[in-house]
Amino acid sequence: MNNGQAHVLLIEDNPGDADLVRLRLVESQSDVHVNCVTRLSDALASLEVETPSLVLLDLELPDSHGAETFRRIMRKAPNVPVVILSGHDDEALAIKAVHMGVQDYLIKGDITSKHLERALRYAVERQGLLRALEVTGKQQIELKNQFLSHVSHELRTPLTCIHQYITLLLDGLDGPMLPDQTDHLKTVLKSVNQLHAMIRDLLEASRADSGKLRIELRCIDIGGLVRQAIAMMRPTAAEKQVGLEAVLDPAIPLVFADPDRALEVLINLIDNGIKFTPPDGSVVVRVSLVETDPVAVYLSVTDSGCGIPQVSLPQVFERLYQDPNAVDGNRVGLGLGLYIAKEIVTLHGGRMWAVSEAGSGSTFSFTLPIYPLAKLLLPVITHKGRLREEIVLVRVELTPLSKSLRGSWKETCEQCLDLLGKCIYVDKDFVLPPLGSSGLVETFFIVASTDMRRVSIMLDRIRAQIGAVPRLKASGTLQVTAEIIPALPAADLRNLEQQIRGVADHVTEIIQRGLTSKQNLTEKENHKHAN
Amino acid sequence: MQTESYSERKPINRAKIMVVDDDPDLRQVLSLRLRANNYDTVSVCDGYSAIAMAQKEKPHLIILDLGLPAGDGFAVLKNLQDYPALSVIPVVVLTARDPEGNKRRTLESGAVAFFQKPADNGELLEAIRISLQIGGWRGLPS
Repeated sequence: MNNGQAHVLLIEDNPGDADLVRLRLVESQSDVHVNCVTRLSDALASLEVETPSLVLLDLELPDSHGAETFRRIMRKAPNVPVVILSGHDDEALAIKAVHMGVQDYLIKGDITSKHLERALRYAVERQGLLRALEVTGKQQIELKNQFLSHVSHELRTPLTCIHQYITLLLDGLDGPMLPDQTDHLKTVLKSVNQLHAMIRDLLEASRADSGKLRIELRCIDIGGLVRQAIAMMRPTAAEKQVGLEAVLDPAIPLVFADPDRALEVLINLIDNGIKFTPPDGSVVVRVSLVETDPVAVYLSVTDSGCGIPQVSLPQVFERLYQDPNAVDGNRVGLGLGLYIAKEIVTLHGGRMWAVSEAGSGSTFSFTLPIYPLAKLLLPVITHKGRLREEIVLVRVELTPLSKSLRGSWKETCEQCLDLLGKCIYVDKDFVLPPLGSSGLVETFFIVASTDMRRVSIMLDRIRAQIGAVPRLKASGTLQVTAEIIPALPAADLRNLEQQIRGVADHVTEIIQRGLTSKQNLTEKENHKHAN
Repeated sequence: MQTESYSERKPINRAKIMVVDDDPDLRQVLSLRLRANNYDTVSVCDGYSAIAMAQKEKPHLIILDLGLPAGDGFAVLKNLQDYPALSVIPVVVLTARDPEGNKRRTLESGAVAFFQKPADNGELLEAIRISLQIGGWRGLPS
């Protein structure tokens, strides 16, 4: 309170107490402005328009009591120091408040001007120090991230050079090589790839630290994604003679998640599972629903490995955690994988945890949110409280001319999706978020409640608008189809909810079928590529 | 992928690719890889030379690093757009920089593809092949 006029917000409903405190304040320092309010709602309104240098707060107000009072003030103005005016009888509560971030408390009967002045000055000083610490902390994180970003960039450059020369030799461009030489170079390449993965993890972890990890949510068929992860990890499992299988509940709905990130999490957990499982052991991936939690899908990876001791379990998701018992000579990496995985899951609004017993394997589980298709379909497929007789599912498929051009294909698809939003009847139709798959064929679905005549106008509009996107014309093809989905007969209010769920399931099934066939295509392609 | 030696004799009418990167070793190995895949190559080490060389050599495609002395990759992209004859050359960005932020920006500045180093050779070569097709190059199939 040393620079300029002090501005105190006094929140006290007892007029006698308020006058006394005001008097003491004016006695304690000449240049003080006191704004006195008697209700919490008035205080919150006042904090909305101006920030005082300090809040003096009575906890018992007409419209708020006890701990709730200071919680709401601190939530409203987290950077303003708060000093509590307490009676003798509620000193315990005042002490609790100090634990929770309130700067100090004064007992009402014992307030002297000198006492008050010192308490207020210290409160302001301490709050200032806290702010400064916070700012310094943020600056340091920012500096660290800049440093990591710079380092990883600088590391990538020589790594690229090594990678290029090794692949040049391995591809025989410098002439044929002896089998031993090829083997040795492949080992070098493997190490280079490990280094590359570490650099990537380092950057990802620093992004997670600073809340800059990004996800792009899509509707995904999680079963397909699990199958893809298993297909990708099968060679690693086979090499170590570890069994790898998936157990999928057939009734899994669409999940709302970032497909690349979800795949990353699955791969990470499966890879860990294989790493810590001895030959002839097994790793099982399960996808299931839990009755008590209707908004999430549960995924788990169970291995039959050495397990994790109880004492270590809480630490496994911490950054830089390394299993002290990793005995098989595998390089363990930076210990960032599980940390990043958990951050990714948290970002989706999911949870991740581990259960294990030393000697009998571990299970790593996480949840991902279900895509609430039925809820979102509600306004489209009902009309005056009844289910429409039919709805139309429009499928817009973009296929790239080649499986390269990864560079710009995604952006082309995004541009098309934007345009799609302009081709529909806003209150009648509904564009589903993009469907996730690692394939390059992009499929968009529109659930339409317009009649067939208007649907055909919509299809023409889509063909004209999207077909004219220059980037798509240059690099891909467009296919638009529509399919009628009849509703159950005798739609009435009683079983409306059930019927909507029925339609949603039907739509989900069609979408999943589309995704699965696409998935198989991608897997085939991957397979071809691998050969 | 073709595996013939890069020292083979030059067939005529091959697509010409300009490699822009400040790392001499990487320029060399990329050129070797491209020549082994039947492309002619020229290479330069900075943003200023990139424009001068593009005007002189009229490459059919440019592989461009972003972190360059004398005008970074973004400046090169912008300068290419300023010359009608150069603005039609497809540019494939190959950089150590993070795709986040940079990818969108390069594509919006006229690049046709973005790869982060180290890139997969198969994907890079495929992108080059397609970009040359789109760019209207009708030479010998590579």
